[in-house]
Amino acid sequence: MARQATMPSDLGPRVVMALSGLVFVLLMLFGLLMRASQAGMIPVDPALFYQLMTAHGIGMVGTCGFAGAGIMWYFARQYVPVTNGIFWGFTGLFLVGVVLILAAIFLMGFAAAWTFLYPLPAQSGGVWDVNAAVVYLVGLLLVGVAFLILYLDMGWAILKSQGGLGQALAWPTLFSGSTNAPPPTIVATTVVTIVNTIALVPGAAIILISIVNALVPSFGIDALLAKNMIFFFGHVFINAAIYMAIIAVYEIVPRYTGRPWKTTRWFALAWNATIILVMFVYTHHLFQDVVMPAWMLVMGQVFSYLSGFPILIVTTVGLLSNIYGAKVRWDLPLALLTLGVFGWAAGVIPAVIDGIISVNKVMHNTMWVPGHFHFYLLLGLVPMAFGFMLWVTKTKQADALDGLSKILFWAYVAGGLGVVWTFLVGGAASVPRRWAEHLPQWQGVDAVSTIFSVLVVVAALYFLIRYVVGFGGQPSKSEPAE
Amino acid sequence: MHAIVLWVSVILVLILSAIFLSVIRSSTGSASAESVGKTANTIRLLSFWGALVFGAALLYITLRPWPHALPPSDDAITVTVIGSQWSFEVDTETVPTGKPIVFALTSTDVNHGVGLYDENYVLLNQAQSMPGYTNRFEYTFDKPGTYRLLCLEYCGLGHHEMAGELTVTSSTASAELGRK
Repeated sequence: MARQATMPSDLGPRVVMALSGLVFVLLMLFGLLMRASQAGMIPVDPALFYQLMTAHGIGMVGTCGFAGAGIMWYFARQYVPVTNGIFWGFTGLFLVGVVLILAAIFLMGFAAAWTFLYPLPAQSGGVWDVNAAVVYLVGLLLVGVAFLILYLDMGWAILKSQGGLGQALAWPTLFSGSTNAPPPTIVATTVVTIVNTIALVPGAAIILISIVNALVPSFGIDALLAKNMIFFFGHVFINAAIYMAIIAVYEIVPRYTGRPWKTTRWFALAWNATIILVMFVYTHHLFQDVVMPAWMLVMGQVFSYLSGFPILIVTTVGLLSNIYGAKVRWDLPLALLTLGVFGWAAGVIPAVIDGIISVNKVMHNTMWVPGHFHFYLLLGLVPMAFGFMLWVTKTKQADALDGLSKILFWAYVAGGLGVVWTFLVGGAASVPRRWAEHLPQWQGVDAVSTIFSVLVVVAALYFLIRYVVGFGGQPSKSEPAE
Repeated sequence: MHAIVLWVSVILVLILSAIFLSVIRSSTGSASAESVGKTANTIRLLSFWGALVFGAALLYITLRPWPHALPPSDDAITVTVIGSQWSFEVDTETVPTGKPIVFALTSTDVNHGVGLYDENYVLLNQAQSMPGYTNRFEYTFDKPGTYRLLCLEYCGLGHHEMAGELTVTSSTASAELGRK
């Protein structure tokens, strides 16, 4: 598919990635503090711990989406006529939302976790005021509106340029084997636009209901329905964040290998299937809400298993076949992108295992849960984002992965694996998640995790500094492999 | 269960790591894109069908019997647990071994989770405790001792301090006590 003759400036996504990198590092520091506190290495008051936990959770989820949107928009603008002003509007509104969220947490004491499970925001047990809940929820609503605006513009640009959703989703390739398919970026962008637009609607609705409930307590909603809405929105959103970041792999890896990444029938099938799968999987968060209809819980287990595989298989096999025997000259961006696909694929393993109801009975809400999602975020999405950032600012021809960059890449790998496995070991030892204070017998693993967290923070800071120093640079391999 | 889950994860991640490392080692060499593409297609096809067949088997094995099934009410003792920020009110202090215990959970305020832990802090079972609903799970104790109920759903500042206790006596001792 032809690229656009003129396209919007890439300054917007570059700024978004700089902010995302900065926030990633700051929130990693929050994570480090929490683990050190659980280990008993430093004293952190439980009230502050839960504020840090809320900021870490909502900050990471939001920033994963923010960084994913930056990557998606950077590449999508090459194919479809997206609007530069809308991207800046998205960035501005997102940041206003972030300011409100931070004010609610650190100035007003809000600490209901990023999932803001109804009716906790309005019923804090006297810890924070309802105004704090309202400010937090309004901030979250603005972030949601920012994404909605971005997706509406993206959807409009896709429809205008692709001649319909079917074409953008590569249906001719899927159903009749046509070779005239849109590039993977467009297929992935279209899928993300559809699923996240759908998810943001109930997300915005439950936020609004929670705001009204905080102001007018007599106005309530069924707690189970609220939980369904929150997890539907939250699950789709964080998965879509990963799907957006994967576009960096589809676009950048072929420029190193000279082997194009095309939309094949398998690719189209996997991404189209994901539209359905990702939207019906959220009930695996509700396995312990036993009053849920049994068929919904069975659906959660079935889709939990199925949803991971299609695009995971096409992406993992696609990446490995792209680099195998391709005379690749490794550098930091490519290493990080490859690590990102590994982390995502590996994270699916403990996730799928926890998606079995009988296993979930003894693993749900233990440290196993942060273990699996840190696998595909800390070792998946985040390295993909840093890989993109270091590729986009790379001014020289590929220099080998050596010296400091090699040391810090492996420090990140070791630190990330250490953080993830100490979570998983904690989960297997039944350690509850989201506890400000840990029993002495749990603190040994917490201490080890803290040390690994230091490695992650140092390495991530190095990636960020490299990006900031090279901010004005252009990728040396800017043309995709045809 | 806990150790099996951990070791299965370790083994599968190690296999995946070995595949990645082996391909990365081969990435600096030369291979025809066409032949690699054909092999990749075969792997893709096998992975899809393999995953589907394995998934169907896994589904059958893990959902039979239904994991949330409860025993007939005549056979079970019901223990009601009511969560409120930040304590559990448990209506029964002592239960016997060998008899199904159904834990009926609800909440007066926000969402809580009730995790049943043994004396070594191993999680045995759990369910959510939420306002407006009663969730139930069953556990049959085979060892006497002091068991703990810990909160497993974040519920605010006192979340980590929210705990209850349940004493389990041997069924023989309980029967003798009943005769006295």
